Amino acid sequence: MSTITAALGTDRARRRRAALTALLAAAVAGCVPFYFAPFQVFQLTMVLLYAVALAGLNLLVGFGGQISLGHGAFFAAGAYAAAVMLDRYDTGHLATLPVAAAGCFLLGLAFGVPALRLRGLYLALVTLAFAVFLPPLLKRLEPVTGGAMGLTVDKLQPPAWSGLAEDQWTYFVVLGVTATALLLARNLLRSRVGRALRALRDNESAAEVMGVRLSLHKTLAFAWSAMFAGVAGCLYTWVIGFVSPDSFSSVLSITLLAGLVIGGLASLYGPLLGAAFVMYVPSVSQDLSEAAPGVVFGLLIIAVMFVAPTGLAGLPGRVLGAVASRLPRTTAAPATAAPDRTPEAGPAPSTPSTPADPAVADTEPVGAPPRTERE
Amino acid sequence: MSEPVTDVTEQNFLEVRGLHAGYGQARVLQGLDFSVARGEVCAVLGPNGAGKTTTLRALCGMIRGRGSVTLNGRELLGRSPEQAARLGVAHVPEGRGTFNDLTVEENLRIGAHLRTGSGWRGRARRAVVAADLERIYGYFPRLRQRSRQAAGSLSGGEQQMLAIGRALMPRPALLLLDEPSLGLAPLVTRELFEIVRAVNEEERTTVVVVEQNAQLALDIAHRAHVLEAGRLVLSGPAARIREDGQVAEVYLGVSVRSRKAG
Repeated sequence: MSTITAALGTDRARRRRAALTALLAAAVAGCVPFYFAPFQVFQLTMVLLYAVALAGLNLLVGFGGQISLGHGAFFAAGAYAAAVMLDRYDTGHLATLPVAAAGCFLLGLAFGVPALRLRGLYLALVTLAFAVFLPPLLKRLEPVTGGAMGLTVDKLQPPAWSGLAEDQWTYFVVLGVTATALLLARNLLRSRVGRALRALRDNESAAEVMGVRLSLHKTLAFAWSAMFAGVAGCLYTWVIGFVSPDSFSSVLSITLLAGLVIGGLASLYGPLLGAAFVMYVPSVSQDLSEAAPGVVFGLLIIAVMFVAPTGLAGLPGRVLGAVASRLPRTTAAPATAAPDRTPEAGPAPSTPSTPADPAVADTEPVGAPPRTERE
Repeated sequence: MSEPVTDVTEQNFLEVRGLHAGYGQARVLQGLDFSVARGEVCAVLGPNGAGKTTTLRALCGMIRGRGSVTLNGRELLGRSPEQAARLGVAHVPEGRGTFNDLTVEENLRIGAHLRTGSGWRGRARRAVVAADLERIYGYFPRLRQRSRQAAGSLSGGEQQMLAIGRALMPRPALLLLDEPSLGLAPLVTRELFEIVRAVNEEERTTVVVVEQNAQLALDIAHRAHVLEAGRLVLSGPAARIREDGQVAEVYLGVSVRSRKAG
């Protein structure tokens, strides 16, 4: 009985903590454009925009257990959909968002069907081919896409009533879309569909036996994921006001995947961290070495993966776990046995995996720190 | 439930006729015939490699088979696992197959994946699932304590409880248990079998359990079939097979009686 009430208590506490965190984040995010220079605000806007794409990729790779080296192509499709609409039909910015989202959803759906037959390296190769073939195609479709010259379209303009500068207004619009997208991704993962997707990643045949339709959910994962990339692409057009085939080379796809892995797979805020990495690290490495920024960038990726193999999002947990295991046992125990540990809090540092000897395990008090922590 | 049930489906609720199945070139099952009455616990026994697990896999659609398998008059062969699940088959695979990165409660909710209930939307469905969760926590109080823990952090026995609980979430017509005792301490296994017996008695769930531990399985089973090299070599009421020490010794490789004494 007491465990039930305790669980309810932690539930309410967790909700209150989450609400508080969200409020705080909103407050900080709301103040940012008034304290930073326009260029810095622009950079933050780009971080937010990449976070949307990474959140989509996270659905597919982190939670769906599939792989895509072609997400830059969906990003490009969203960007071009917005640019063409603005350029040829002068639709206004807001109308481009649902079109880019829906179009990329369908594109992802179409792509998800062949993906059903492939996995691992084969799927990686096919998706990479998609990313490689798109830029030349965009160049060939010159009447629509503007060819190699690309398209220049209007950026977002602040309405007069807002009294904001262009960079500030753009930031707030992108912030709104990003927050909505991240919230959507989170709710999706907690829904019946998201649960089914994660179950398929963990154990395909067991999920199927429970009635989860493999083909439907894997295809849907591709579609949702592509939709997020498309929305990010659309935002890109709004922010930059220019698209060209060279902006969306296959390197973009690889960078997105690298950013996601660095930020933290299957973590809810990993995409934000990964987006920051993708945005800032190349320019930092440019500062460090004029001659070979790529080398610095690559070395930094290697360094991060060594220090935080579960991504930046998993780093605090790993550090806490390392600290806890060095503390005397009496103080370490409550820390590791905290009942309110959730999977969202990043990979638990000391989650004991199924012990080899179940006979012993069954008599072991649950929540006890693993015996290997101290000899 | 309300549909009129003829005697035929009562007695042959699950009917297996001439079942052949295997993996690629390897033919494992060489034509099985048996039937299970509604509400019965049926034990499938036999030595390693006899085809016990293969039988269950063929029943739930994980592998293809030839012949005929009907559940309540509807053909199961040729269906995908997901379609078999829709027809009321719940399979607890060998090695549990829990979703280790999901919490205990999420695992159970996956069990309710097909529980779209009478009202697809909103409240009705949620109420049904909540009631089923309570029902499972009633059978397995330990799962309630661990409901927010990742399934991967559970002990072997708890994971097996979770796998069975998950399978029971949709109130299946047929529960297939594959080696539930595998790698578990004897006390834990006994507890599990008692719960399976309780479920069978309370919900009239038809159970087919595959076990190496013949003694345990025979204790809760009504009928038993002994498999050897893909064929049935012995069938009968569990009590008779249990008492027939010689038969057990010959076909199961263990002396049931001496074990009981020891």
